[in-house]
Parts: sequence; structure tokens; C-alpha cells
Amino acid sequence: MMRGLLYGIKKFWSEITSGDLLILSLAIVLSVTAISSVGFLGDRLQSSMKEQASSILGADLILRSASELGSDYLELAKNNELKTAETVSFLSMAIANEDNLLSSIKATSESYPLKGSLDISMIDGGTLTHQGAPKSGSLWVESKILEALELKQNGEVIIGNKTFIVEGVIQEYPDRNSGFFGFYPTIIVNIDDLAEMGIIQTGSRVVYRNLFAGSQKNIQNFLDSLQDMPADIRVQKAEEAAENLGEALESSTIFFNLASLFTIIISVITSMMAVRRYAARNLLQTSLMKVFGASKMFILGSQIMQLALMALLATLVGLLGGYLLQSLLINALQDIINTELPPPSFKPVILGFVASFCVVFGVASPYLKILSESEPIRILRNDFSIGMTRNLMIYLVASATMLIFLIILFKNIELILYIVGALIAVTILLFLIGKGMIYALSLIKLSSGIGWKLGLKNLVQRGNESILQIIIFGLSLVFLLVLAETRTDLVDSWTDTLQEDTPNNFLFNIQEYDLKNISEYFADTADLSPVFTPLIRGRLLSVKRNNTELLDSDNVMEREANLTWQETLPESNTIVQGSWWQENRSMAEVSVDDSVAKSMGLALGDELYFSAGGNNFYATVTSFREVSWESFSPNFFFLLSPSIGKTLPNSYITSIRVPEESSIMASFVERFPTITKVDIGAVIKQVQNTLSSASLAVQYIFILALAAGILALIASIFSNTDQRKKEAAILHAIGAKRSLIFQAAASEFLVLGILSAMTAVIAAVVLSGVIFTQVLELSYSPNPAILGTGFMAAIIFIFIAGIMSIKKTIYTSPMLTLKDG
Amino acid sequence: MVLVDVSIVSAEFTGTITDSKMAEFTKRQIVKELILEVKNITKEVNSPEGALTIVKDVNLSIESGELVSLVGPSGSGKTTLLAIMAGLDLPSTGSVSLLGSEITLLDEDQRAQIRGLDVGFVFQSFHLMPKLSALDNVMLPLEISGIDDAQSKAEEALLSVGLEKRVHHFPTQLSGGEKQRVAIARAMVNKPKILFADEPTGNLDTKSSSAITDLLFSVNDLLETTLVLVTHDLALAEKCSKVYELSEGELL
Repeated sequence: MMRGLLYGIKKFWSEITSGDLLILSLAIVLSVTAISSVGFLGDRLQSSMKEQASSILGADLILRSASELGSDYLELAKNNELKTAETVSFLSMAIANEDNLLSSIKATSESYPLKGSLDISMIDGGTLTHQGAPKSGSLWVESKILEALELKQNGEVIIGNKTFIVEGVIQEYPDRNSGFFGFYPTIIVNIDDLAEMGIIQTGSRVVYRNLFAGSQKNIQNFLDSLQDMPADIRVQKAEEAAENLGEALESSTIFFNLASLFTIIISVITSMMAVRRYAARNLLQTSLMKVFGASKMFILGSQIMQLALMALLATLVGLLGGYLLQSLLINALQDIINTELPPPSFKPVILGFVASFCVVFGVASPYLKILSESEPIRILRNDFSIGMTRNLMIYLVASATMLIFLIILFKNIELILYIVGALIAVTILLFLIGKGMIYALSLIKLSSGIGWKLGLKNLVQRGNESILQIIIFGLSLVFLLVLAETRTDLVDSWTDTLQEDTPNNFLFNIQEYDLKNISEYFADTADLSPVFTPLIRGRLLSVKRNNTELLDSDNVMEREANLTWQETLPESNTIVQGSWWQENRSMAEVSVDDSVAKSMGLALGDELYFSAGGNNFYATVTSFREVSWESFSPNFFFLLSPSIGKTLPNSYITSIRVPEESSIMASFVERFPTITKVDIGAVIKQVQNTLSSASLAVQYIFILALAAGILALIASIFSNTDQRKKEAAILHAIGAKRSLIFQAAASEFLVLGILSAMTAVIAAVVLSGVIFTQVLELSYSPNPAILGTGFMAAIIFIFIAGIMSIKKTIYTSPMLTLKDG
Repeated sequence: MVLVDVSIVSAEFTGTITDSKMAEFTKRQIVKELILEVKNITKEVNSPEGALTIVKDVNLSIESGELVSLVGPSGSGKTTLLAIMAGLDLPSTGSVSLLGSEITLLDEDQRAQIRGLDVGFVFQSFHLMPKLSALDNVMLPLEISGIDDAQSKAEEALLSVGLEKRVHHFPTQLSGGEKQRVAIARAMVNKPKILFADEPTGNLDTKSSSAITDLLFSVNDLLETTLVLVTHDLALAEKCSKVYELSEGELL
């Protein structure tokens, strides 16, 4: 073995430059480039998105409670080497110039925010990025407050018992509340002034937050030590910062994983092709070495060493290529990305090595066995073929290796099993379709066109080889088509999320008598027809199950319940359990947001006890809804049936989209001073940035997977080029004109392309259906544009690449090809 | 049966015996030692038509330094018999004793070890490694056996077959005759005790055939290497000291 290993080192360079190992090593270089650039890019973009998520939260982790949190958690966090900050939020009237405005007051400690930036324009000019709170006795306000209360430099604002001086205008702050009812204009004060303000009394509605930031490990340690936390304290992690961001991150993470997974599978296909060619070409060498006395271990040692050196070198080159490629992409698109990406971690490097060695030895091991056990008698028989039966075994072993590797790599057995199950099903489907098509071809009898006849005959005669090639072409194409469909659907769904008509203003406190005037105002000024939704201020008091017992109060937090009633299910809502109420039904019913229902442990049939407008009443839970909060339409956790809703006093709210720079809203405020207007343009922009980052990431990673797919197609075309070259040379030698050989090859590749593309499209529809419904949980309908484009592109590509692969043979002397080594 | 290592006895012969008559006598004695003995060899293979007998109950023996040819028409089992004699394949029944070892009882690696040390091969299709230069091709058996100074020995071997100017050429840059010379240099570089040649001139023109034949015979003559030649060329066969003729797997 040792002598074999040394021999492997000695012959490595001549092997790698001779061509056979070079093809395999190029396949590995490109595989690692694809895998690592997906890794590097995904890693950096995901880190970036996590950073953005942390920025939205202002921390990596938040503990939130309606009652004071005390200093215990802050101490515990400091012991875990975490940075800490505190905020206290509540609603209060801000009074100035004999006017007042309901505002969201945020009292912050000096270290706020821990993540993200606080941009303040000082009222005496200049903008600064701040960290900390205003000094005691001063405050910062959002510009809306400045306008509404007509505040000037050194203007005074009274909140509770304390008078503050306006020091700056808030341009941007990190933990902007994207929740529907958090859109009152914000004032930031120093937490030390809370006591003097004297607003917080027993029973006041206050949200206390402790903010934490630090390494992931320290955050996790801290979280682990919070086992016995009271139920009313909620934990918010960066990933869950905002629902919209969370969904985008989750979807893009699924796509990254899918793209990485497919890239690896495509790379394995490429390597299988390359290693098969390598083994076939090395069978003579190993058999000859056996003749001259080489033992099995000697051959095994030399082959392992050469493959290991090749994998090492190829991985290093691939990693470098992967890093450069993602740097190029990021640099080229820096302006669009808009954010400074964090440096990549070492994870993709480790991933690159693991992937490369798993792929090389996973696909090469069975061939290594064949090579080391090659019988020396082959030399006398001139038999250097690797039979199909052996190939099937090889592919089974390689597939099993790949399955284990993928499960270890992705740590998601369910996803891998779905994909691999689908892969096996698609392979069988491709095999059956391929076999059927080859059989159908054999029935075709062409009356003219010798080139066509030869081409089709070749395809039919190659039989299993042609079917194998259809499967390989087909699989690569299937993955590309599925990724293309997934990518398009994800990006489209994100684009739909924030369409041009996404509302950027909410209007509250609209009374019945204002409805007509407001409608007329928007119709005249902006040609808009706002839809008004009833708003009932209420409170959920308790929950009763089966008319007998009260539910555990730990799960049923007494909470302000903003209610509405609706005849029909709003557009941005979907019933996930139960059914929507029937018309004219007298029973008091309530439909609950699915996530709230889960957090409260509600079941259909439970009775919720509400207090609203001076009335207390029960409403039976008859459905759960999935709410699309990112629609930015008025949405509610609790929706009442008309039978009860109509009996309660209510105001109205609406959301509308007006051009950013127009004066429509300024005039509106003048004309309807009692109506509260909330501008959510900044929140929309924040979400838009995040979604465009995610869309871009998906596009880049798709391009890389596409490159891997193209490489697989090239590798499979080259896998039996030797045989085709020989056949072309023999035809040429026995007098066939070059044009005839070209015609035969062209027709063969054209038909192969059509058969592969056709089978791929059929299989892609099946696989996409599985992925959309089972993994992404989306409905699936085939995308004719993508499938059509993929079909045509595949045919053209296979045709051109095929012709290129044997072009040289067609135009050189047949002697050069046929000359025996 | 006692087999004698030719190289050792030859050394003793050149170093210690001074009387020329005695030396001549001893040499003849050595030549007569058995180097290969085939007993009751039968080889059957499975075919779509059932079991097919390729070699049937063959017995033969070859003495050290002999020039033996194995003749017969295509499909008579010559190459299969050669493969069995050289330990490249195993018989279905019977035994083969090569250089004192019962190779039919050995495993593939043990047979490979014997081949690596004492057996040389020349093939009809040359079987040079296309990726290796002439020099590297000749070095191959030495490197497999872990022999030092492989390069100079290989250069010497190429010089002895008249290819000193083709040392760094690749197989595709050589003529058929030159390729076969490289193959002979590769077969002889380990100074084997027995050389098996399977139709060595089958792919060559008359002129090259003659040159290759002369080269092989000179190897036998100069190095006293036993030569077992498979051929269907009767004229060539007749130049050998012993001729075995095969027909439908049986020795005539």
C-alpha cells in the first residue's frame, strides 16, 4: 500500500496534466466553486439579513413584558458577556402650544440601541448617528409631531408631569414597530425621566423591554439559563423580529438550501460522468500494472493518493474560485445590495472540503474497487469495458453515499428524504420515458437522408447508453427547471407582497359621519376609493372551553383586543381551520388569527369572553385564519361575525396609497383634524430593502446552480465522446464524407436533446409539484414560459455542445483518432 | 524436481569455473532445468450456448533458456493457454508450476509478485500506456517492484533496443515497430527469467516483424531468458527449439 501511495504521488503531476484526471479535477473544481460560492454568498447574505433582522429589533434578543422586568435578567446577561439596554414604551398625550397628540413614548437607556443605528437630526442643524438616550429633560420626536404640534427650536413638550425641551428629530430608529397598532408617532425620552413624568401607574399599559446583544453562543447560553421565566415574559429573537423579514429569510433560506442541495446533486452527476470516463480510461493502465506485478493494494494506494491529491488541489482552486466569484458578484452589484456585507465565515471552506472529498470518494470508490480488482487477463483480451450491470451497482453505492452526506450536511432528514425520494421517482420516470422514446425511435423507418438514418440508428443501437444519457441530461435539466420555477415564484410572491399600490398611510378614528366626506376627498384629489373597516376597541377577558371550565390563564393573556366585524372574509386572509360564518346567522362567532390561536392554545368551539363598548359578551371560535400581514391592509387578530359586531359601537380605519411627495395627506390633515394619520412609508421601505436583498440572493444563487447544471451537461456529453470519435473516424476511413458524418452526429445530438428536454419537462412538473406543495407549502401550477424556455435552451445547448465535442474528429485525419496507443 | 536459479548459477559459473569444457557442460545442464510445467490444464468458460472448453487437458513442460513456440489457428486457445501459463488467468482444472511455484494455488497478488520479479510480457497490441513516454513505460515494472535506479536501467534497456533517440517520445509519436521495441525493453528491464510474447509481430509489417523477431531471439540468446512465443506464423515458429501446436484447445 505504502509503495502504491508513493507511486501515486510520483505520478500525480503527469496524471493530472495528461487529461483523464484533469477532466475529473475540473469537474471537482467547478463543483466546489459552485458549492462554495453558494455557501459564501448564502453565508454572507444570510449574515447580512440576520444583521438587518437584529437592526430591526435593535438587539439580538429581547425580553418583553407588560410588567417590570427588574434587574435580574440584565445581571444574568452581563454574566454571559452580553451587552444590555432597556426600553419602556407606552402611549401618552404629548402637549405643546395648547395642542395635543397621542404619541408612542419610548424611554431608553444610554446603551440603546444595541444593533442598528439611531439617526437624529439635531434641531439646531446637522445629522448624527446616535447611540444612547437624549439627555435628561430633553427629547427627540418624529417629524410628524414637529409638524402637528408646530414645534420650533427649543420648543417645549409636556408629557405627564414633566416638561421637555425638543432636542432632535428622529430620522431612523431600529426597533420600529411594524405591527399594525404601533404606528403612533414616536417620542424618545431618557429612561431616568420616567419617574418624574408620573405616567406609569398600576394598570397602565406599558411594554418593558430588556435588550441583549452578543455572540450566538453567549446568547444561546443566556437563553438556556432562562428556563423558569414567568409566562408573561416573551422572548423575541432577531430572526423573529418582523414577520415580513422572517418570512423572506425563511423562504430564501429554503431556496438557498434547495439550490445548494441541487448544486451538490448536479455536481455529483458531473463527477459520476467524469469518474466513469477516468476509470474506463485507466482500466488498461491498472490491468497492465497487474501484469507487471502490481498488487491490489499497490493499485488501490496509487489511485487513492492521486484522487486525494487531486481533490485537495481541486478543492483549494474551487474555494478560491468560489470566493472570487461571489466577490465579483457582490462588487458588481454593490449599489443594488445597498448594505455592507459581513465577511464570510469558515463554514463554506469546511463545506467545500467535505463536499469535495465526499463527492470524489463517494462516486470513485466503486470504480476504485473495479480498478484495483481488474483482471490482468483483460490485457490479452483487449477488454477494457465497464459493464452496465456494474454501473448500476456503482450508481446505487454513489447514491447511498450521497444520501448520507446530504443528511449530515443539511441536518434536515425530511427535506433530504423528500428530495431523494423525488429524485428516485424522477430517475425511474426518466428511465421509463427514455426507454419508451428509444423504442419509438426504433420503429421509425426513414426513407431518405442517410445522415438522419445513421444518427437515429446510433441512438437506438446505443440503447442503454442513450437512456443513461437521457437520464443524466434529464436530471440536470429537471433540477434547473425546478430551481427556475421556484426562484420565479418566490421572487414574484415577494414582489406581490409590496406592490406599487401597497398602502403607505393608515387613517384611524374615522367616525360614521366622516365616511362620505373622506371618500369624496380621496376621489377628487387622488382618484382613490378607500375601503373602511369597522374598528371596535375591546379587551379579551377569558376563554371558556366546552361551556364548562376556564382555560389556564397563563395561556390566555389579558390583552387589548382590537376587533372588527366582517360580512365576508378579507382578501388577505385564508381560513386554515373551521369555516367562515354563514349569512344571517344569529350566533356570536369569532375568527382568530392562526398564530395567536396557537400561542393561546385555542381550539375550535372555545368561547372567548370580550369586553367592548361597555358590553361583555361571549363569541364562539368557529375558524382560524392565516393572515397576510405584509399586505399592509387593516388586519385583525380577532374578527367578529356581523350578528355581534354590528351591535357594538365602532369607529373606522382605512389604509391608502398616496404618492410620497404629494400634498394630499397634508391637506387631508388640515381638513379632517380629528382623524389620526399614520405614515408607514419608512416601514415599507425597510421591508422592501430586505425583500430586494433576498430576491437578489436568490437570483445569484440560481445563476451558480445554472453554471453547475451546464457543467453536468458538458460532462455527460463528453462521457462517451471517445466512442463517438472512434465511430466518426471509422466512418471517415471507410469513405463517408465529412458532411455525412456531421449530419449523423447532428441528428443524433438533436434527437438526444429533444428526448432529454421532453423527459426533463415532464419530470420537472412532477418534482416542482412535490417541492411546492410539500417543502415550500405553496400551490403549484406549471410555468409555461420557464418550461418552454428551458426546453428550447436545452435542445440548443445539447446540440451545440455535442457537435463541438466531436467537431475536431470530423475535421482531422481519421488516422490520428484510430492510431493505437 | 529441483529448479535452479539461472542467474545465480550463471554467476557461479562465470566466477568460479575456469575449465571451458566443464563450463560448457554445466551450462547445458542448467538450460535443461524445468522452468514451467503444465499438467492436465482445462479451461472452460460460460457462453450463451453453455459451457465452452477453450483449452482441453494440456500437458507441457518448458526448460530454462528454451525457445518455445505455441502455434495454431485463430480460436485454438493459444492466448488462453499463454495466459494460464503466465499466471494471468486460472485454469478450470489442472496445475501450473512456474519458476518452482504452484501458481494455480496462489492468489492474484502472489501471482503478481512472481510476474513482477521474474516474468516479462510482450503483446500483439503493444499495450503501451498512452499517457507515458517511452522511458516512463519502460520504468513501470521497476517502479511497481520498488527497484532503485529505475530511470538509468530503463534508459539502458531502451538503448539496448536501439531507441535511445526516442526516450521521451509518447506512443502516438512512435511507429508500430518502435512501439514493440519499447514493449520489449519494458519486458526485459527487470531481467526476467521467462518472457511470454503473444503474437509479437501480428501488428507489424514484414520488415519490422523480422527486426522484432531478431530482437526477441537475441534476448533469449544473450540473457538466456526462456522465451514462450504465441504465433500463427509457422516460419517464425520453426525457428524455435520447441513447437507446440494447438487445435481446438488440444495439443497435437
